Amino acid sequence: MSSPGSLEGLRVIDITSGLCGPWCSMQLGDAGADVIKIELPGGDSARSMPPFIADESAVFLSLNRNKQSIVIDYRTSDGAELVRRLARSADVFIEDLASAALAHGLSYEHLRRENPRIVHCAISAFGEDGPLKDAPGSELVVQAMAEYAASLGKIGDPPVRLGADVAALNTGIFATQAILAALFHRARSGEGQRVSVSQFGSLLHMRGIMWQAMTDPDDWYGFHLDHYTHPPEYGYQTADGAIYFILRRGNTEDWDRLLLELDMMHVLDDPRFADCGRLATGVGRYAAEVKPIWEEAFKRHTSADIVKLIHSLGGDAVPMMDYDSLIAHPQVEALGAIVEIDHPKAGAFKTIRPVARFSATPNAIRRPPPMLGEHTNQVLAALGLEDTEIARLRSLGIVA
Amino acid sequence: MAQILDGIRIFDMTIAAVGPWATKLLGALGADVIKVEPPGGDVLSKSVPPMIRGMGILYISANHNKRHIELDLKREADRAVALRILEKSDVLVQNMRPGVAERLGLGYDAAAKLNPRLIYVAASAYGRVGPMAVEAGIDPTLQAFSGWCGVTGPEHGRGEMFRHLAHLDLTTASMITQSVLQALIARERTGQGQKVEIEMLTAAMALQSTRLAEYLATAVQPRPLGSAAAATAPHQAFECEDSRYLAVGVERDDQWPGFCRALKLDQLINDPRFASNAARVRNRAELVSILAPRFASKPATWWMIRLTREKVPNGPFLTFAELRHHPQVTANAHIADLDTPHWGTLSTEGLPWRFGRTPAGPLRAGGMPGEHTAEVLAELGMVNDSK
Repeated sequence: MSSPGSLEGLRVIDITSGLCGPWCSMQLGDAGADVIKIELPGGDSARSMPPFIADESAVFLSLNRNKQSIVIDYRTSDGAELVRRLARSADVFIEDLASAALAHGLSYEHLRRENPRIVHCAISAFGEDGPLKDAPGSELVVQAMAEYAASLGKIGDPPVRLGADVAALNTGIFATQAILAALFHRARSGEGQRVSVSQFGSLLHMRGIMWQAMTDPDDWYGFHLDHYTHPPEYGYQTADGAIYFILRRGNTEDWDRLLLELDMMHVLDDPRFADCGRLATGVGRYAAEVKPIWEEAFKRHTSADIVKLIHSLGGDAVPMMDYDSLIAHPQVEALGAIVEIDHPKAGAFKTIRPVARFSATPNAIRRPPPMLGEHTNQVLAALGLEDTEIARLRSLGIVA
Repeated sequence: MAQILDGIRIFDMTIAAVGPWATKLLGALGADVIKVEPPGGDVLSKSVPPMIRGMGILYISANHNKRHIELDLKREADRAVALRILEKSDVLVQNMRPGVAERLGLGYDAAAKLNPRLIYVAASAYGRVGPMAVEAGIDPTLQAFSGWCGVTGPEHGRGEMFRHLAHLDLTTASMITQSVLQALIARERTGQGQKVEIEMLTAAMALQSTRLAEYLATAVQPRPLGSAAAATAPHQAFECEDSRYLAVGVERDDQWPGFCRALKLDQLINDPRFASNAARVRNRAELVSILAPRFASKPATWWMIRLTREKVPNGPFLTFAELRHHPQVTANAHIADLDTPHWGTLSTEGLPWRFGRTPAGPLRAGGMPGEHTAEVLAELGMVNDSK
């Protein structure tokens, strides 16, 4: 609790729900901003996503530390007026398609009249122009439309999605960048502005190398493994598991030793293994084709032995790990990547620490994720509402 | 028009994908990005296929909006030039192995002494402490290591890699860009620069926050579910009568009644087995056994029209040929043409953000290694005596 964070003293009002917007406002909270999470009665949809720890959603807990929760029904004009009052003194306002559709008079045009310095961030599914500008998206729908399934599974089989929620979280990172960039501009110029990001645009950005690769290449063997026709990549089978490896710094001496140790001298004449195997491993052009030859040799060795051998030759090799082996790995411990947060109801739960480490203005976890409406009274009191007024709004179901 | 990072100079010493993509985004926000490479350029990214007119695609795509200069940091004279640039820079980004920058006299302590306002970003694969600190890492090895493949694959099948080997690279890059912007704001307030450390491994774990949350809460390894989501249902692909798969996603309870109406299964709306998201996830198999034959009874387009009318997220599985001129893509410039001096006209990704007052971009093609050495050095009041 020593050094202040980069955004200390800034206030963020976040009316989004689910994964994307909350991830973004959590980044701002980690950086020291004071984040007020406004939920509709019933709460953020992520609160109902399993699994649960003492009735608290683990997914919700992983996306909402460093925030205060206040329940306001901004579908009503009195509720919307309360949000506008909060936004009057705020630095950042974040909305998504779903919340914007329900809100009364909370657009940038409305908010900037009373607070021209505000940075207003809108998150949409497909982008603000075009036939799909108002269409809702979902994690899978956005992955599917952005071609993500083309790099997974087998042709002809049912489609496969990325297990991680990338449409939500990668977009959340871009939203955070947009807000920070606008705050920097404001610090230098005094001007606020509206910024926007979309999930579809974000994932199409993340695949940008592919668009360029396909423009007019000298020849086409795909970009890395992304060939549109390659089989699934499971890593290389060994005697006791699977590994993934790349040889890219090898010299002839190392190469000979590797082939000797693996009893693979027969590939020396195979042109696909030329140049110390550069094209025969990892992302090389022939890697998919010659994989069975490697696996034939690897099945006589354990993953640990092969990883060690390849490291000793200056190559990159790692076992294919699941979450059990990842979380137990000493590297994860050395990085302090997993931290524990005390939650009044869920107890101590584990999560990933803020990623970047700042030497002067460190990111920090200052508050556990809030319970629904935990801070309604204190936030409204700080806004100048009398207890009787808060009680009246409660009785009308406008706040909770 | 003024750009957000006008007047901010980035000293980019990075290679491969992670660092270069991060500084490219800063360039698109208006920063003056000076990419410093060894003579001949960054060999690694230059050799990533496919090639366009002989140049590797990673080099082309990760270096837009930069100026390229060559310095041989093994030479004293060039190190002196590097220090002069560093002195006049706002941000330095490097992804060298631990200790290398220090040996070159470009470690954080030396840099901060010379330029206390400098924001110094040190990026790495596995961090700079711990047993893996000395290992290099790239996207596929981080996919393998971070558990990423264990939650992706067909249901009941093996976990698999994402064959577009750049997602974790670009995710780490995005987090670097975010951190630089954050440090620039802090500098406006404190007047001081600082050191920022970031590693691909923690970035990859953070990107899996929701899936790791599931594991950390239950101690049960989440398994691949094909196209299905673990925490919401119905949220998966269904095969329709015309053999096309349609992606649908009910992520919020308020989308459920509309979904049922679109499928003409109104009787499910209040069915206690499916009335809440938690119940639908719990009874997913039963739910799918009702929905799958329903979807298989009509073509995908039929369901798309009905689901769209009910505002339920749905969409087809598209590929580049369908995306390139898709009206939604064109309207938002999610993919756009970029004229380049060396590689013809490229289809590039659009910028991921839109700013109302201070437009970002446009993307400008980068150059060949060393293309701007003379120009940059002259601008900084230096002559290049290294050749």
